[in-house]
Amino acid sequence: MTDSTSPQLQVVVPRQGFTWVDAVVMLALVALFWSALHFGKGMLVHFDASAQEPVDLGVSNIPYYAGRTLLRMWIAFAFSLAFAISVGYLAAKSARARMFILPALDVLQSVPVLGFLSATVTGFMALFPGSLLGVECAAIFAIFTGQVWNMAFGFYHSMVSVPTDMQEAATTYRLTRWQRFTTVELPASTHSLIWNSMMSFGGGWFFVAQSEAISVMNRDIQLPGLGSYMAQALSHGDHRAALWAVIAMIALILASDQLVWRPLLAWADRSKIELTVSQVPASSWVYNLLRGSYLFTWLGERVLRPLGELAARQGHRDAAPAPAARVLRADRLWRLAAIAFVAWLLYHVLAELVVAAEELRGALSWKEFGHIAWLGVLTMLRVLAMTVIATLVWVPIGVWIGSRPKVARLAQPLAQIGASFPVNMTFPLVVGWFVAAHIPIDWGSILLIAMGTQWYILFNVIAGAMAIPNDLKEAARVNGLRGRALWRTLILPAVFPFWVTGACTAAGGAWNASIVAELATWGDTTLRADGLGAYIAQVTRSGDTPLIIASIAVMSLFVVLMNKFIWRPLYAYADRRFRLD
Amino acid sequence: MNTPPIAELKAVSKSYRTAGGHELKVLDDIDLAVHEGELLALLGQSGSGKSTILRCLTGLVQPTGGRVLASGKPLAGVNAESSIVFQTFALYPWLTVAQNVAVGLMARRMSRAGRDSAVEHAIELIGLGNYHAAYPRELSGGMRQRVGMARALVSQPRLLCLDEAFSALDVLTAENLRQELLSLWRSRESTLSSIFMVTHNIEEAVEMATRVVVLFPHPGRLGLVLENPLPYPRDTKSPEFQRLVGIIHETITTLTLPDLPPEPPPAAGQPVSRAHARMESIPYVPVAQILGLMKVLHDSPELSNLYEISDEIGTDFGETIAIVKAADILDLVDTPKHDVYLTELGRRFIAADREGQRELFAQQVFKLRIFHIILALLGEHEEVEADRIVRDIATALPYDNPEKTFETMIAWGRYAGLMDLNPKTRMVFVPKEEEALSHAPAN
Repeated sequence: MTDSTSPQLQVVVPRQGFTWVDAVVMLALVALFWSALHFGKGMLVHFDASAQEPVDLGVSNIPYYAGRTLLRMWIAFAFSLAFAISVGYLAAKSARARMFILPALDVLQSVPVLGFLSATVTGFMALFPGSLLGVECAAIFAIFTGQVWNMAFGFYHSMVSVPTDMQEAATTYRLTRWQRFTTVELPASTHSLIWNSMMSFGGGWFFVAQSEAISVMNRDIQLPGLGSYMAQALSHGDHRAALWAVIAMIALILASDQLVWRPLLAWADRSKIELTVSQVPASSWVYNLLRGSYLFTWLGERVLRPLGELAARQGHRDAAPAPAARVLRADRLWRLAAIAFVAWLLYHVLAELVVAAEELRGALSWKEFGHIAWLGVLTMLRVLAMTVIATLVWVPIGVWIGSRPKVARLAQPLAQIGASFPVNMTFPLVVGWFVAAHIPIDWGSILLIAMGTQWYILFNVIAGAMAIPNDLKEAARVNGLRGRALWRTLILPAVFPFWVTGACTAAGGAWNASIVAELATWGDTTLRADGLGAYIAQVTRSGDTPLIIASIAVMSLFVVLMNKFIWRPLYAYADRRFRLD
Repeated sequence: MNTPPIAELKAVSKSYRTAGGHELKVLDDIDLAVHEGELLALLGQSGSGKSTILRCLTGLVQPTGGRVLASGKPLAGVNAESSIVFQTFALYPWLTVAQNVAVGLMARRMSRAGRDSAVEHAIELIGLGNYHAAYPRELSGGMRQRVGMARALVSQPRLLCLDEAFSALDVLTAENLRQELLSLWRSRESTLSSIFMVTHNIEEAVEMATRVVVLFPHPGRLGLVLENPLPYPRDTKSPEFQRLVGIIHETITTLTLPDLPPEPPPAAGQPVSRAHARMESIPYVPVAQILGLMKVLHDSPELSNLYEISDEIGTDFGETIAIVKAADILDLVDTPKHDVYLTELGRRFIAADREGQRELFAQQVFKLRIFHIILALLGEHEEVEADRIVRDIATALPYDNPEKTFETMIAWGRYAGLMDLNPKTRMVFVPKEEEALSHAPAN
């Protein structure tokens, strides 16, 4: 009826038939498979810590090492994704599970992952004796723990913020749990999940670079990869190889960004909750290319949809009305199993804690403990100094960039890549400069820490400056606001919430970075700052378990306290005073 | 009646916890049945609990007390024979039109071909022919609601529930969709037997329904049940139509603005110290709207009827009533039947300058019993926690949302210069004299 009056829509009909794009995509998929197998094979070889094959510094080997590093990243990411989705789902669906999960995530997020490397490496090596797989698992585990908590939190938040009416519609049409998850909840969370994944993946490079070349129990262990290549190159003073490694690392980050994350973001643009067409739709050349491919349509029609129907049918069989008594018993059984599992977990955690406490009591005097706490204060001062300095430097620059859309479009991805780049690879170079210029590491480590973490402040401030509504800017101009007055009344309040997010992320990363920044080596010289990071690095090298546990616990405590007494109040304040809505 | 009602509420009540943790009774002892073949409209202001009734009826929400029946049997879970069209459309933006419609069939076991043809049929039926592959964000509001309807109809429900389905649409589009839905329902081509619609639009209810039920808030209870035998298509200008609309108007008016005996006037020359004996609810109305109403009444003396006023100020009837009620409890207007007149005080109020208006307003607000209680409390203490006042309000007015009442009281109190809230400390205080004189704006 209104068809004649309403504007006709240009609906893009999916392409039929295969084209050259499909051929390219097919080739790419085959290549991907082959390389995963090829690099994966290298993970299963025999390993003996005393007779390791040294990393070959030939430039032609870089692609192989890069592939190994990349594979590690993706395996860790796959585990993180699976974990984040299942834990986030559980927390959103069950109030009882939520009671455990949310506080646990909160604490786990604060634990400095790098301090654990020694424990995990020995643990995994015991699990796979004589195989490289143990060391690989430890590296993957380090990346996993570096990114998973944040992703789980993010997924939980997007699950609980699915609009009520969408959930109600699903209830009205009696969707099964699986149908509800796949048609409503997962798509509604996709955009934030991908964005979160991208940021977490970016953070993962730091851990992969670190965990490929570690010293545990006074033994140097090297995993073939870009991180170990770089370490080897620097310890041999081979600057050409080091430069190539840096270039390869940047290429890897860029490729992941362009080939995976940008297309995914562009694809997920359609699943943003708001029904309005966004102002600047995310775009990606790869996505545009892939959209021309019939392969995905074909796969969707011939593989995914039948699978979905199969799952739906399976779901119906489950949903068949069961006698009340049986339902009750299944429910009870399930609950019993859950309780048993939690009890088992609690028992083990408690037992471990008791053992650890016993060991600690034997090995640790109060004096030593006080010393650790004092070192914690020193490192905290460094973290705070980094935050303040980075803020003073980057807020004006970020605002300048953010108020120029053209510059911002260029600079924001750059800042993001800056945040992804594992600067810890280049620390030895900087330390070399410290040695040459006689800069004490106690101060220099602040710079080292800032190198990796300042970018979070920068790109959040850019985002904040870009988000200042135009009418507010125009009003300020009409009122003749400029200089200090303009900053005080408009810019600082508008950017503040974004700055809090950036500074909180930066400070969180800074604790981890302190472990590698406060104890740094350049050739034969080792510089050691007074701080908890250096302490942890040292006891990890010597493998002193009670001290490792104590120092990590103290650092976690510092992180938790800083969150509670600095960042939470700032978040709350920003939300109360400066929310733009 | 021989066949049992298609859906029925028996003595249903429902309580919620507000954000502040107060128990709020939304529905009280509701008996309501949707019979076979009828189009039942439930009329009520926003916040009267009508959406809750719809959700109880379809099984989306469990009532706190009472029973829900579907075709005579107790309802367990969601009613499989009903579906809902939502005010916000509730479409999934990541699914195409056809995929959105297919969601309505997900719970059914059927062959792929059968499903595709059912979706196709629903899409054709609702006039979405060329839009299969479009995404909701590419459609206009009216088209989106068509998708919502197709999705609701594709499962061939016997009962269709409309939750303010037309209120987010512009006037013409809404009228168009209403007529189409009516002809679809009347054609009896589908399995659709009854429609239950929830709306705040009186004309919409009278235009569509075979029976209209009016719901009154605080807590929700049924006021008026009106059979509507007018033949379709209905002429909204016909006297019969207007008569029915008039009856509903009048019922709402008398129930919301009862003609109570006037309070004894304070003795001349004595300071006002006595509050009203009655504990009035505070309508959630900003001061600026009360001032606007006064101005309209003053500028257009020929306006006396509530409906004409409602037309003039361009808000819907329920909202107009709330504004008038606010002016009424402040004794600025008098409301015999459904007329609205300025009182003597009201005239003085309009004639006064800004400061004079503020003083009169303060004087009248001071007489409201709930204000009186709170201000007495504030007289004893320098500051009082907002939470404590909200608790007091909850005790004094158990059926009102205490947080909303509190917000309104603070807004009125600010304008009157009687009390203010410090948002940082969440403390309520009485502003100092010189601060009060600095003219808080009305809105």
